[in-house]
Amino acid sequence: MTQDMLRAPAEVKYAEELDWLESIDDGPKPFSWRLSPRMVRLFVLGSERADGLDREIPQKWFGDRSFVERAIVTLASDRGLLLIGDPGTGKSWLAELLAAAICRNSTLVVQGTAGTTEDHIKYSWNVSMVIAKGQSRESMIPSPIMTAMEQGVIGRFEELTRSTSDVQDALISILSEKYVSIPELDEDNIVFGRPGFSIIATANSRDRGVNDLSSALKRRFNFVRIPVVTNKKSEAEIVRFRTEELLRRHNIEVDLPPTLLDILLQSFADLRTAAASAASDDERLESALSTAEQIGVLEDAILHSNFFGDRTLRAETLAGSLVGSLARRSPEDLAILNKYWHGVVEPRSKKDGGAWNDFLEGGRQAIATLS
Amino acid sequence: MSPFGALREQLLDAATAFSDAPDTLTDILSGLVDDVDRALGERLEIFPVCHHSPASAAAMVRRLREKQPKVIYLELCEDLRPLLGELRNCRLPVALQAFATDLDGFPPGAGPLSVVAPITEASAEYQAIAYALETPGVELVLVDRSTDHVFQWEPDGTCEAEGRQEGGEHGEETGLHGDAVGIEIGDLRPRFAELEEHLLHHGKVRHWSEWWDQYVEQPLIGADYDTYRQVMVLIGSLFRRLTRAGRRLAVDEERERYMWTRMREHLADSGADPADCLYVCGAFHAASRVEQFGLDSEATYDIAPRTATRWLYGLIPSSHSAIEAQFGLAAGSVSVAAATWSKAVTRGGLTTFTLAGQKGAKAAPKRRAGAASTPRASQPPPSKPPASADAAGATGGEAVNDRLSGFLATPPALDELDEAELRGWCVDIVRLARRNGYLASTADAIAVFETSILLAGMRGRARPTPYDFQDAAVTCIEKDTVPGRRDVRRLCEILLGGDRVGEVGYEALPPLARDAFDRLEPLGLDLSKRTVQRALLDLNADPGLVPCSDLLWKLRYLLPEDAARPIMGERGLGERSRQESWDLAFGRYQRAIIELGYEGVTVEQVLEQRLRRTVWKPDATAAVALAAVEDAVVFLGGRRFADELGARAVELLAAERTVDDAPEVLRRIRRLLAHYRAAEPELPAWCGSFVTTGYAHYCTLLPIAFASDDTGVRHVAAMLGFLFGMESLALSLGCDRLQLELAVRQSAPEAPAKLALLWAAQTQLGLLPLAELRARCDGLLANPLVVPSFPLYIAGFVQAMEAAPALSGFVVEVISKAFGSLPDTVLLPWLPKLITTLRHQAGDLMPMLVREAGRLFPGSLPQLDTWVPPWSDQRAPASPHAAPAPAGPVTALLAAHPSACDAVAELLGCEGEWRAPVAGGLAHREVAELLARHPEAPLALAGLLT
Repeated sequence: MTQDMLRAPAEVKYAEELDWLESIDDGPKPFSWRLSPRMVRLFVLGSERADGLDREIPQKWFGDRSFVERAIVTLASDRGLLLIGDPGTGKSWLAELLAAAICRNSTLVVQGTAGTTEDHIKYSWNVSMVIAKGQSRESMIPSPIMTAMEQGVIGRFEELTRSTSDVQDALISILSEKYVSIPELDEDNIVFGRPGFSIIATANSRDRGVNDLSSALKRRFNFVRIPVVTNKKSEAEIVRFRTEELLRRHNIEVDLPPTLLDILLQSFADLRTAAASAASDDERLESALSTAEQIGVLEDAILHSNFFGDRTLRAETLAGSLVGSLARRSPEDLAILNKYWHGVVEPRSKKDGGAWNDFLEGGRQAIATLS
Repeated sequence: MSPFGALREQLLDAATAFSDAPDTLTDILSGLVDDVDRALGERLEIFPVCHHSPASAAAMVRRLREKQPKVIYLELCEDLRPLLGELRNCRLPVALQAFATDLDGFPPGAGPLSVVAPITEASAEYQAIAYALETPGVELVLVDRSTDHVFQWEPDGTCEAEGRQEGGEHGEETGLHGDAVGIEIGDLRPRFAELEEHLLHHGKVRHWSEWWDQYVEQPLIGADYDTYRQVMVLIGSLFRRLTRAGRRLAVDEERERYMWTRMREHLADSGADPADCLYVCGAFHAASRVEQFGLDSEATYDIAPRTATRWLYGLIPSSHSAIEAQFGLAAGSVSVAAATWSKAVTRGGLTTFTLAGQKGAKAAPKRRAGAASTPRASQPPPSKPPASADAAGATGGEAVNDRLSGFLATPPALDELDEAELRGWCVDIVRLARRNGYLASTADAIAVFETSILLAGMRGRARPTPYDFQDAAVTCIEKDTVPGRRDVRRLCEILLGGDRVGEVGYEALPPLARDAFDRLEPLGLDLSKRTVQRALLDLNADPGLVPCSDLLWKLRYLLPEDAARPIMGERGLGERSRQESWDLAFGRYQRAIIELGYEGVTVEQVLEQRLRRTVWKPDATAAVALAAVEDAVVFLGGRRFADELGARAVELLAAERTVDDAPEVLRRIRRLLAHYRAAEPELPAWCGSFVTTGYAHYCTLLPIAFASDDTGVRHVAAMLGFLFGMESLALSLGCDRLQLELAVRQSAPEAPAKLALLWAAQTQLGLLPLAELRARCDGLLANPLVVPSFPLYIAGFVQAMEAAPALSGFVVEVISKAFGSLPDTVLLPWLPKLITTLRHQAGDLMPMLVREAGRLFPGSLPQLDTWVPPWSDQRAPASPHAAPAPAGPVTALLAAHPSACDAVAELLGCEGEWRAPVAGGLAHREVAELLARHPEAPLALAGLLT
């Protein structure tokens, strides 16, 4: 089944692993959860020898253990979970993993946009059926959230702050009363949430100003803030893990040279430092310089070298891909990259040599092409 | 047969089963058991402790009540013993401090040496100290190496074993210990990072304090004494066996030798029965393997003598955060330990020991007494129950039961959920959060409660620890981060006891601090408060406050800036304010005041010493000495001391080989001379000799300074300023002006600026007439080859005003000419440089220059049109044909009798000639012509008049 999907949801992809975990799980499970909280944690963060399991469970989300624990515990409590963080910090991925582990269904997703309406959160009507048969439960189209309520599973709301405030506030009653009434119907007009229902929302901390949450809604969510990974070791692990996974789709097996990975991480770290000390937005790259962006850069470079190169990842290609992905505004971003290349990469290539020399050259060419 | 035989077997089997290299593991595991066996079998009862461990403190209380030892040996620097009695005057936490500035036997420059040993209430050592000091007949013996040895054994001063607090970004409370080396009883922590990392990783905790709390503290806090001892020694032994050999371990072993030697000496001297003694030491030392270990050991150890360094002792305030920062503990961990301790006391019904009169400990014993429902208060010495003699003997090398096997094999008995406690925390955190601007409500309290329990369950414990609670509170309450607002994590720390800051009581203060507080009493403020207090002094209305004001100024000089900060009022040479207002924060800077007390008995004495030390430093200069004189005059008054410092200034000036300080010297001596002239009937003798020495000194150095590239224009100008400014005084005291003239003649500078300076000096000396100087400058301006460097000449002239104020008019003239005639290509790039140079180097001279310019330039715009500069040639009255000779009776008379005028002119040396008078005057020629052409009107007028 996974073969037919471009990207299988977590519960399909890790179905076998989840089955196995469920079979050995003897811990107390809240509501209708399929796994106990500790097993959920194990599924997300991977197992260790000390856990004494018969098989190894790989780590799927990289970050502080306490974030995961807090998130799981929130889902077991009365409140919804709001994951906040910069773009590319793995919020949606964590949400998907949690939903998959808890209820084996991570696809009940509402995507928050400026065009999201209350119908997307509650229900809408199949107009032709309404004309034919009148308003009934049959002619009603429940939203993913409502479906989650009915089934007692986790519903997801991506980019909550992108939708307008009045639409967001439709969640207030869902999270408090745990039911949705359908006034159009005379009977069977209330959908009650079954035990196990909860909501995982994600919000982009950079966009919080777009439609900030009302304090009434804030109260119904527990906030877990996911920081950008700055620890070089775990970042390297994430980049390697995700890139390999993404490239498996193309049946490309890559042997990622550690020096190149190091160069990539180092340049992102440098650029982050520069962005942190910049005085205005013009002196800051538009990109959030997140881990996801690094993965994008690396994937891009590997695909490029595979399809148009000699199947070996080279520092020039990496530099070109980095410049190409980060230079979004001309001339601001290009100017920053140019400065970075001449002020940081050049001295470093003189000092360290090796792959930095090629990286310098590749970057220069890419900047020259774009300018 | 050791009671641990079965455990040993079990461990050895495990080693063979699990390890690839069973030998190493076997050694370690069996070694652990051996260590425990050995420590528990020792005749002298060893009480292993860990720092800031409530479990240790609780076990200590129980053991002391039960055994009631006669002698307590404590792992603490032996020379700190006299300080312990003073603890009762303080509010804990405070730190015992040993301080030395007069070093003897240490490398120069190593000082000042400072050691602090913080004491908190929730510690086993405090319980032992309080028991020993409050119970008659009990002797407390500190057995660890002296503070002197602490530094002897760490020759380069880097105390690897204990933390030296890093400076920098610590907050105010965390910096309470200054840069002292910290020592503490029972340092117990993995000695290499990998082990600690491994423990944290597998314990699924974030930091060491949390690990310790979860895996040792909680299981042990209610454990019986045997279990406690065995487990603590086991942990000590584990960390000891997994230590890299190094200097730190070597120092620890030295200390163990020292301690055992001291204890054996004491037992031999006092004849005490070892069964009545208790040795309190870190668990690490309980598992010691040095040959001197044990009372039965015959191994000798020679204790090295102390150096001749004079150590001073005192108590300084400490705080939980300072302790955490010093010893690298997680923020809030000491506060959490304190909270755990008070809870353990209540739950376990313990009657703790408290020093009589201890501040801040009043409320606690009452509650404890009530909870424990024991009639025995902490004050009266506990009477020894008859049964305890057996109990005491039970550990003295007799039957030891293996409690370890059970402890290691079974999971710890988890604490039951204490709902009331958790509920209290939840309600309080919501209230605290609301007060700090969070939108928190009762619903949040409920959510925090639920989340804490769920989190604890997930982490495998029934009762949420403070750390679980903290995580839950952050999850449920923190929605935004607002800069400047306290985050929820910090609020939790505050809630769980917060940072407690100790205070040293009045009686425990050194004489200087007490004296200062006594003298400041008229201010009517409680100076022990930690808040900033405003003191208002109206010295006119209440002259009784003048001594307070004097003292405050001295303290301001000696203490850190914020301890005493004047808001209104100034004090300088000859300056006194009638009203002053001060912001005082002595409570917060208690350590600084206490450390002043190490330097002397009164503030004045310390001030005098500091000033004297400043001028006698090897790198002292004349300027430094003059500054010291000024401070002495301002703060101490009186001539004697100022004269002594002044005499030193003369010596320093004579010995100086450079003129780097010349501007500073000039500025200060001018001010001092002005002060003495105004305030004293005559100048002090040292002023005279300073001026004469300076005159000779600067004359000697002048040619070199002019020639040297290293000496700046400003310095040469200051030298000249000294020479010309002090000239009259110097000459009156017997100096010879010829010396200066010769020095100026010998000077041959090449740099344009210095050349200008030299010309100015020559003009001032009369060697160069002003007219010639002007001609030289005009020449420079006229020479296109020199024009680009002309600005440098101007810089020189401006500086010259310091030495020759009379030249200021000329300087204005030169600058004006430069502006008028320099080409823009030279002038414009130079302008910014001129401004910055003037601002930095000639800031003092600017007013003079501006005043002079104001005098010379016209005051309004219309005047400017007709204004001719006074130095301009056109205005010179030299034009010979200027005035026409008017016709008239006087002219006619003089022309008729020219001899008198000729004689006067000859006498005056004027040359001139007689000119024929012009009828009607030259000036009215047009009128005459007009009248000649049209005579009718005047004729008619004449006819009318006649």
